[in-house]
Amino acid sequence: MSMEASELQDLSDDADYAASQQQGSASMMRCDSSKRSSPSEHEDAELIYLKDNVAIHPTQFASERISGRLKLTKQDSILFLSWIPYKGQSSNAKLSEKDRSLYTITAVPFTEVRSIKRHTPAFGWQYVIVVQSSGLAHPPLYFYNGGVREFLAIVKQHVFLARSAEDASVFLVNDFQSPLQRTLSSLELPSSLPVASGQSTYPSDGGSLNENQGRTSSDVGNRVSSLSQYGLRKHKSHDPTRDLSIHLLEKFSLVTKFARETTTQLFSENNGFGSADRRWNNQPVHSYSDKLSNIAEEKHHEISHSYSENDLLKDEDISNDIDVPADPLEFNKLSLVWGKPRQPQMGSKEFTAFLDSEGRVVESKALRERVFYGGIEHQLRREVWPFLLGYYAYDLTYAEREYLRSVKRMEYATLKQQWQSISPEQAKRFTKYRERKGLIDKDVVRTDRAFEYYEGDDNLNVNSMRDILLTYSFYNFDLGYCQGMSDYLSPILFVMGDESESFWCFVALMERLGPNFNRDQNGMHTQLFALSKLVELLDSPLHNYFKQNDCLNYFFCFRWILIQFKREFEYEKTMQLWEVLWTHYLSEHLHLYVCVAILKRFRSKIIGEQMDFDTLLKFINELSGHIDLDSTIRDAEALCICAGENGAASIPPGTPPSLPLDEGILYPQEDDVL
Amino acid sequence: MSYAYLFKYIIIGDTGVGKSCLLLQFTDKRFQPVHDLTIGVEFGARMITIDNKPIKLQIWDTAGQESFRSITRSYYRGAAGALLVYDITRRETFNHLASWLEDARQHANANMTIMLIGNKCDLAHRRAVSTEEGEQFAKEHGLIFMEASAKTAQNVEEAFIKTAATIYKKIQDGVFDVSNESYGIKVGYGGIPGPSGGRDGSTSQGGGCCG
Repeated sequence: MSMEASELQDLSDDADYAASQQQGSASMMRCDSSKRSSPSEHEDAELIYLKDNVAIHPTQFASERISGRLKLTKQDSILFLSWIPYKGQSSNAKLSEKDRSLYTITAVPFTEVRSIKRHTPAFGWQYVIVVQSSGLAHPPLYFYNGGVREFLAIVKQHVFLARSAEDASVFLVNDFQSPLQRTLSSLELPSSLPVASGQSTYPSDGGSLNENQGRTSSDVGNRVSSLSQYGLRKHKSHDPTRDLSIHLLEKFSLVTKFARETTTQLFSENNGFGSADRRWNNQPVHSYSDKLSNIAEEKHHEISHSYSENDLLKDEDISNDIDVPADPLEFNKLSLVWGKPRQPQMGSKEFTAFLDSEGRVVESKALRERVFYGGIEHQLRREVWPFLLGYYAYDLTYAEREYLRSVKRMEYATLKQQWQSISPEQAKRFTKYRERKGLIDKDVVRTDRAFEYYEGDDNLNVNSMRDILLTYSFYNFDLGYCQGMSDYLSPILFVMGDESESFWCFVALMERLGPNFNRDQNGMHTQLFALSKLVELLDSPLHNYFKQNDCLNYFFCFRWILIQFKREFEYEKTMQLWEVLWTHYLSEHLHLYVCVAILKRFRSKIIGEQMDFDTLLKFINELSGHIDLDSTIRDAEALCICAGENGAASIPPGTPPSLPLDEGILYPQEDDVL
Repeated sequence: MSYAYLFKYIIIGDTGVGKSCLLLQFTDKRFQPVHDLTIGVEFGARMITIDNKPIKLQIWDTAGQESFRSITRSYYRGAAGALLVYDITRRETFNHLASWLEDARQHANANMTIMLIGNKCDLAHRRAVSTEEGEQFAKEHGLIFMEASAKTAQNVEEAFIKTAATIYKKIQDGVFDVSNESYGIKVGYGGIPGPSGGRDGSTSQGGGCCG
């Protein structure tokens, strides 16, 4: 057997996959498949992942460890896992053929895998334990070169993976009794939906887990397979979970079908945003949706106007000719149903109702929910932001908070003293300090100076900002100072006023977002990767478009993520967005859904104009100031709910702003200066 | 406005050397000492005339901090010209030129025209890098060189235009295949019609209606 060259080229768009293909193709050819039919025997088996030096430890003796190669292959959209021990290794001399076949894992399909337990200790080897549906647990597979997270991330791209509620280190494979199911099942569409003839017999009850609709007609199959990238697959067996998955997908495809109808009409009428909302006449959201679409339309024109002024493209020449693939969720409409309308900002009186007599926040989740749906009145932000940021614990009383503030004030003074006491003579011998101070001095006078609070010469607030950043670069010397930090600090200082309080709020924020500024940019790359996975999940045609146009690195969203849209909205709107994001109410990663929401809103323009990387980057940059915040948050909420656990599983554990997974050195540096 | 060619420029160099100010001086003819620091990349554009032909410069102004190098590298793709900027009052920004140049050589196309600019030449009293050193570095590395001041506008216009003229000459000399966009050149109305269709085709046919 051999891999055809054309098969290798299929993935050539994707550098990582292409590289793994090249490395892996040789091993595919001599894959041991004596026991039973292996997917790699067939020409169409696709090598998804290959990892060398993955070992099992049958005994406690190092000499009896067996090293081998772990592989994921895919055939007929089913993912298989294999682990084959190396042959003829001297350290494996004692290993008999019998032992070898005992431990070898030959192409286990993930349909037969129940769970994967992950163990990534700070010290020692990482390993995973694969448990099959039959209950068979394979011995731990030790990753000598690390990479367990990457392995799981790749598995997640192909099968439905959900974290177990009981044990956070266990990932359940194809577990359909998850919240996703419940979420999707509960998404009842309005009964007055104009469903096309012949499609009106969808089950309206999505609740029962045992429901066996047995729908295997080709019609259903087609629509199901269109969603196969979600890792849910069609099957002809009578496994109730599988039937349920079909059932759920029908719900999705009902949505899709309806949306597509609407879209088709929409495109023929208006080439983009527009009048389709009339079809929602019976919906209570009608007036809002009309308004929204009007806004969207206005924005659309506004942007295309300013855009064509500056650039080489004329949008009116193009869109009609390009067939823009339908949005699988057609979320412009769905968001109106799922994303809740924004409430007025929470006021002081309302906030007090969340506190007990001594000032503790009794139900932090209810508070976070309230902030999520409406934000906070400006004067109140000073009291609530420290909670949201994690500087105040929710269960502190008024008195305890007061005490905390005073302790922290002293601590801040001590920290500040560290650099303030550096004499000019010492500074001469302290390059790192001079560099940082120089950088910070330069940057604080280039941060929001048009905003009243920071404008003018010798502005004391600018001085405070400098002092806080310099003190932070001593508090967290490993991370230091990086451009973008002042963008985060500026609204915090404006809201908190007090220098010490601002410092500690900033510290709390950097606990989560510090990795954005890691020198290796790892925190940013993780988020951009997760974003690509979410777009793949929520809008695969758009994902494919990015893939074909070499835009999969998502660098065009870099600024959005680095400073969480600070440069995309006006100052007050940024604060509104941030407090929503900081609630971590629906997800710690709502900001990524915000990215998806904005991209989806402009998808027809992006695809219709066939934007390449440069054009797209410029277009996204120029969206600044033209994005409607409220509808974007609603859209993001809808997308987050829609993606459910599947979305959560697309985001690798530890992705900022999640707290770092491992204790220990927070910001490993290759820094050789000190 | 229509153009015969569009050139993509990228401005690189250490943070705080005045990249954004040079861009603003060139596009808007003004100096704005108070502006927000650049995160990621910002864009500017201006029409110029070379050899009686309208040429549009699309300029990418990048963030200078070391941490962002990995992302800045992705902007080099398809740039026809680069302005490599240092600050004549800060020696270290001159010392870092070699590493910027290395990035540019590695990630841009080999025929990219690079203009070395010693900025802030209005601050002669604080000069830390002599003109001769700048000239010498440019000579060693095959760059065009100028000292300029974004504040007084001295040599700003000249730097951008001289770079464009060099690129234009390379086109005349047949160094570039202008139909290949990876050189950072697009042909517009009045230029040599390239074989590439699609957007460029519509742009050139659209002619005068272009914004």
